Amino acid sequence: MKENRRQVWGLIAPTLFLMIFIGVIPVIYVIYLSAFKYNVFAKVPFRYIGFNNFRKLVFDTDFLKSLRLGLTFVALCCGIELPLGLLIANLLTMNFKGKGIFRTIMTLPLAMAPISIGSIWVLITNPDFGPLPFLFRKIGVEYNMGINANQAFFTTVLVDIWHWTPFVVLTFMAGLTSLPNQPFEAALVDGANRWQTFRYVTIPLLKPVILTTLFIRVMDTFRIFDEVWMLTSGGPGTATRYVSIHLVRLVLQSMEYGYSSAMSLFLLYLTIIICFLLLTFISSSREAA
Amino acid sequence: MRKLGIAILLVGVLFVSSWCFAAVNNPEWWQKAAEPYKGVVIRGISESTPPSKAMVEVAAPEFEKLTGIKVEFEVTSWDEMYNKSIQDLQSGAGIYDFIYVEQDIIYAYLAQKWLTNLNPFISNANITNPDFDLDDFTTFINYFKDAEGNIYGIPFEAFLKSYIYRTDLFNDPEIKAAFKAKYGYDLAVPTTWEQYTDIAKFFTEYGKEKGIELYGHVAQAKTHPCVAYEMCETIWPAWGVYNWGINLENMRASVDKGGTLNSDQAKKAFRWYVDMLQYAPPGVRTYTWDETGAVFGAGKIAQGIIYLENLGWIATDPSKSAVVGKIAVALPPTAPGVMDDAKAGKGYIGYYDGGALGIPHSAKNKEAAWLFIQWCMRKEWQGEFAKMATRVVRKSTFEDPLVKELDAQTGGYFTMLKDQGYLFAGAPALPMHRPLNEVYLKWISKAVAGEISPEDALDNLAKEVDQLMEDLGY
Amino acid sequence: MSGGKKTWKLFLVYLVCILIAVATLFPIYWMFVISARSRLEVFLGPRLIQTSFYSPNYYRPFVQDVYGRYLANSLLIASGNTLLVVCLAVLATYAFSRFRVPGSNNLFFWTITNRMAPPAVFIVPFFLMFNRLGLRDTQFGLILLYCIFNLPFAIWLLKGMMDGIPKELDEAALIDGCSLWGLLFHVIVPLAKPGIMVTAILNWIFAWNEYLFAAILTSVRSRTITTGLAEFVTVIGTNWGEMAAVSVVCLVPAIVFIGIAQKHIIAGLTFGAVKD
Repeated sequence: MKENRRQVWGLIAPTLFLMIFIGVIPVIYVIYLSAFKYNVFAKVPFRYIGFNNFRKLVFDTDFLKSLRLGLTFVALCCGIELPLGLLIANLLTMNFKGKGIFRTIMTLPLAMAPISIGSIWVLITNPDFGPLPFLFRKIGVEYNMGINANQAFFTTVLVDIWHWTPFVVLTFMAGLTSLPNQPFEAALVDGANRWQTFRYVTIPLLKPVILTTLFIRVMDTFRIFDEVWMLTSGGPGTATRYVSIHLVRLVLQSMEYGYSSAMSLFLLYLTIIICFLLLTFISSSREAA
Repeated sequence: MRKLGIAILLVGVLFVSSWCFAAVNNPEWWQKAAEPYKGVVIRGISESTPPSKAMVEVAAPEFEKLTGIKVEFEVTSWDEMYNKSIQDLQSGAGIYDFIYVEQDIIYAYLAQKWLTNLNPFISNANITNPDFDLDDFTTFINYFKDAEGNIYGIPFEAFLKSYIYRTDLFNDPEIKAAFKAKYGYDLAVPTTWEQYTDIAKFFTEYGKEKGIELYGHVAQAKTHPCVAYEMCETIWPAWGVYNWGINLENMRASVDKGGTLNSDQAKKAFRWYVDMLQYAPPGVRTYTWDETGAVFGAGKIAQGIIYLENLGWIATDPSKSAVVGKIAVALPPTAPGVMDDAKAGKGYIGYYDGGALGIPHSAKNKEAAWLFIQWCMRKEWQGEFAKMATRVVRKSTFEDPLVKELDAQTGGYFTMLKDQGYLFAGAPALPMHRPLNEVYLKWISKAVAGEISPEDALDNLAKEVDQLMEDLGY
Repeated sequence: MSGGKKTWKLFLVYLVCILIAVATLFPIYWMFVISARSRLEVFLGPRLIQTSFYSPNYYRPFVQDVYGRYLANSLLIASGNTLLVVCLAVLATYAFSRFRVPGSNNLFFWTITNRMAPPAVFIVPFFLMFNRLGLRDTQFGLILLYCIFNLPFAIWLLKGMMDGIPKELDEAALIDGCSLWGLLFHVIVPLAKPGIMVTAILNWIFAWNEYLFAAILTSVRSRTITTGLAEFVTVIGTNWGEMAAVSVVCLVPAIVFIGIAQKHIIAGLTFGAVKD
């Protein structure tokens, strides 16, 4: 037994060591830094200020705006992707020729580098030669992301939908095919129509998958960075400055390391809370099912 | 016959070899000084504008050929250049041996002690060319000295941001008549902002009437540091608001604390700027300094204020510009009293931009980098350099025949630079330049995007600037 | 359902499929088109068909400029990180699967939060730490760094596979006189090969696609191709053709791997919650 113990630790040790080094120590460092004013351009570059960074965070209108924008973005994206994905998946559950090819095509956006996706959409939305502005001009709308804040916002939503709806469709397709036949046969016998079957049989059975997908999409859209950075850099003005973008600008441009550490800590905490809540919700629904 | 043949051959060789090393007075000195560093690779970074490109494309390969020191010179966007430079300086990693030090960032770099003092290098005869002649540099070099007079950068580019206009349009009799009929005075280079506005309005309407793409104004109004710079460096000084609206003695911007940022004059100037955007091309809110130059070169603009480092190719290069020979420069219009202030040395009318090459404190090959810097700034090459990129950093360059020729082609730019350059000034001494620019950018671009009125934007901006200054301990 | 209804539904299905396929593929097609156009051609307007191919868009960045180096760096970092992660993950998951390690639930939760937190929250400490340790602008630094996201994920993926290998095989091998390493190499790994392949592929794709940390923690020597892509959008006016070309090259591994491991990519992205 003793030898086993040692073997176990021997196997895990490298992983543990690495994870402590790059997973735990940075977080400790962030907690440490969040109590300081650390800006190279200040008269005194490194100064202890206790909780002042957090106090500042609560009243920081820019940060609150980025939170608000981020959450609106999450709501919009998930609110469209999930129903849309479910609808399409439901339609495609039957076996048809070319299903395999179709699935391969849909997987493509998922494996692409997000920054690459951002660059592709920059090409599509360029006011001088992009097809999208061209089409908009045909219906009399002047499409220019660099100027119109609303257009910029909706473009980022569009890009996210393009990027991830295939993911939702594919997961729901897989989920739907793995559902048991019995409840559907029972419903048919009971004389339920398509909508009733969908509402009272399909959705409850699919609940775990729906919740898991929702969880993943919510977390992913909240922390979005690469695509938006490439597309708008948070502009015009601050119209698409979501949470990650705001934080990165704070670090790179303003070089406020202490304050950005406090902000990082807050966001990390927020993430943990949301994860915990959603995961508990998911596992309880799994037990119920 | 043979002797003649040999003589011709000799002359030919001499001619060809001197042509190979374009304009080097003393190649042996360079080779000897570079001996200990032969085979070394030096790395530098700068902004991808004409002066730096000239150094990359011409100076660097020639230097390599002559001395055997390899030069890896990165030229990239302004944003990337700064990010990479500052990260290197901060981390002390020593990735770069020489970097671009712009005239406005020098204060920040000096405050952090990020640059190498060049005086010891200059007094070292082994690595400093006897012809280097530090005194020949224009007063622009003073921006790169510290309080004790130590030099931390050698200027390689210096130019004005001033007014340029289309001579063909301004001299066209039909246009002149139409203008006089509309506004009651002769069309001429504007000296006041009211005149500038009239002219802008006139040309944009003229373009619409005639169905051609012509506009009477251009700006760099993108949500990018450039729009903050345009206000701080160009518009506000010419309206009488200096030093970014900040009182340099107590480092405050609000009027009630001694600053001028949210003064009535500043608000008036900013409101004017935002309103004027209607007379610029529709894409103006996506323009930075490069697009303004490009759109001028495409012939779509009748008048505007741009960084004149682009003047060279706009006025003389037919492969890139559609308005060769049709451009002239002038001083920018000013609000009443500003010109007198500037002449008396109490104010300034616009921006004297430029940059130097400096050596980071963490550089690994300082002497080799110093040799390269001298190479780019050697007297013999300055005329050629000025032709490739409209900039002058040495007094002697003004006398170079190439520059005199260029002067004529650009409507007297170099004469203006030499004689009236003193009316322009570089950025004020603000070591917290970077975070400050972020704050200006935020509020200025909000007003430009129409989210908030220019007046409110300035009130908020002044408050936030003061807050930032306090935060940083000033 | 009657024959007519069925064909109608089939028609609808095909219609939807085609619409989605076009919507998905058009932007990618557009990228290819732009990458084949010269600067002048690009600005001529949104023409959909391209007959000529402007090869300097590919040639210049990769052969004359530094993008070839960026590509090499990306390959090195993605492969290096995958190798490291897979090795460590196999060892660790074996341990987790065979022996009861305390606190594995909490570990799982920690894994999820690392994967779900905005990456930006980690940039300050890494930026400062890497400077101090001299890991800045090194490929090795990035190979280590990516483990923070990839290693927990790999462990999570592999654990299921490991659990699926019956413990009796272990005991049989040990009775035969096999050492622990022998057991791992000759029994476990071959059996877990499909799972390991999938993990490796997913890991490789994540490492290849990463942008933020690569951009912040590298400068010249170790720049990756994703960072290079972002560098194109400069103040000088972007060279769209070249940017599209680099984007195409960035896309190539993705396409290759999709062909191989399409199903598993979905499973991986949902944490294995949904299997095909």
